[in-house]
Amino acid sequence: MTPLFAPVRELGEAVRTRRVSPVELAHVCLDRLQTLGPRYNAVVTLTRERALAEAGRAEAEIAAGAWRGPLHGIPYGVKDLLSTAGGIPTTWGAAPLRGQTFDFDATVVRRLERAGGVLVGKLAMVELAGGMGYRQPNASFTGPGISPWGADAWSGGSSSGSGSAVAAGLVPFAIGSETWGSILSPAANCGVSGLRPTYGRVSRHGAMALCWTLDKLGPLALTADDCGLVLEAIAGADPHDPTAARRPFRYDDGEVAGRRFRFGVIRDVATAAEPAVREAFDRSLDVLRRIGTVEEVTLPDLPYEAITRTILMAEASSAFEDMIESGAIAGLTAPEDRFTAYARDAILAKDYIKAMRLRTRVAREADRVLSGLDALVAPGRPAVASPLDREFRSAARGNVPDVMGAVGNAAGLPAIAVPNGFSAAGLPTSLQFMGRAWEENTILAAARAWQGITDYHLRHPPGVC
Amino acid sequence: MSEPGRDVGEVDLRLALIRQRYGDRLSPEQLADLRRAVEAIVELAAALRAVPLTSADEPLPRFQPLRTDE
Repeated sequence: MTPLFAPVRELGEAVRTRRVSPVELAHVCLDRLQTLGPRYNAVVTLTRERALAEAGRAEAEIAAGAWRGPLHGIPYGVKDLLSTAGGIPTTWGAAPLRGQTFDFDATVVRRLERAGGVLVGKLAMVELAGGMGYRQPNASFTGPGISPWGADAWSGGSSSGSGSAVAAGLVPFAIGSETWGSILSPAANCGVSGLRPTYGRVSRHGAMALCWTLDKLGPLALTADDCGLVLEAIAGADPHDPTAARRPFRYDDGEVAGRRFRFGVIRDVATAAEPAVREAFDRSLDVLRRIGTVEEVTLPDLPYEAITRTILMAEASSAFEDMIESGAIAGLTAPEDRFTAYARDAILAKDYIKAMRLRTRVAREADRVLSGLDALVAPGRPAVASPLDREFRSAARGNVPDVMGAVGNAAGLPAIAVPNGFSAAGLPTSLQFMGRAWEENTILAAARAWQGITDYHLRHPPGVC
Repeated sequence: MSEPGRDVGEVDLRLALIRQRYGDRLSPEQLADLRRAVEAIVELAAALRAVPLTSADEPLPRFQPLRTDE
């Protein structure tokens, strides 16, 4: 079989039955990361030595009949905010931290190693995961992330390399992080599937902290099914991260054909989206009616974006206090990242606490609405990928509404973005399913049902084969 | 620049703190940019304060006392 653009599930079976060699697979990915990665500014560090050691171990274990599961021998990349031992740099996308190293692996990396995964590279990201207020794609020392769907199209952010590497067939799956939009946006811009787990589902030990109460780690892959396989490997409690919940996660990959879903749409949720996104969303609703019901729902009038923005800015300001107050942010790539965070000294403690109190109400209202639904659906991102040299619209910056993102991240709810169309210029659009807390299996089932009756996830960018 | 109706005094007071702390690192253009950022922060705060809560409305997540041996 050809491993290129094969889903993890197929690759895993091919590896298990020894039709594909993990070592050869690692070489394919390493070569593609090296030759094609620079085209998309997708890669920070190739982890060749570690990859070949892990692949060799996987090959030997499988030959001896000790198969660990569907990720055994499968290459993957991680956003470069996950620490890795062995002298491999962990740069957080920031020029002043190019030489930063840690002497331990992040829990997610350890768990993927335990599952038999093969780490082939550390992937590019927006500097400090966008926490300093960047406004345009050129905000990383590795250059602006480029979507494989267009030479002038942004892949981010902030898990830019995780999105583009999967879309270009450089790795079968990747790990990204989301504080507000950083998994769903690159999934949308790159035309892949991206799962934001429930807050606390996945340990963040060893991950760069941007906002302690908002940060989540999750997979990007070609299919929703693959996201489920990866989530099962990385989820679970961790003594090193007190926020990692003691709720075991077992991916339910049971048959979804014939299952009926109940979908909700927040009134006017797509009104501010670009025409191509809105049209794709409207078409998607018609398709979703084939597998369930679609009803309009309302949320009470609350300042959702203001709540999440205040929390994000205040926590990010504290998380990076040293870099901000020392002036080290002057070494960042995006000119606006070199000073914008100073403004956050103007946030009052009582306003942060008010946002946290209102967050309780947001979580309660979101759960009330979702308790009668399998998922809320909405565009994964309100716009197609932005041009590289222009400022983008962003809810985190306050110039485009994003109730789904504000509510979903403030309430810590899971969501998955999957491709649902293309603009006239050939750039992908995206559909998100957002569920109740801890209901990853429900939204994964809905997304799998969607991908069972559509073929957007089977299309690949031109010039990558 | 500030729009009519905005609380310019509050913006100026908060901006003065930033200028006091970081002014020696900032160009006039950056200071103007920061004024807009502070205006946005004041607007966010106003939106939050406009929502009435009772003292029983607690923040999420709730603080939990910690024992490292458990």
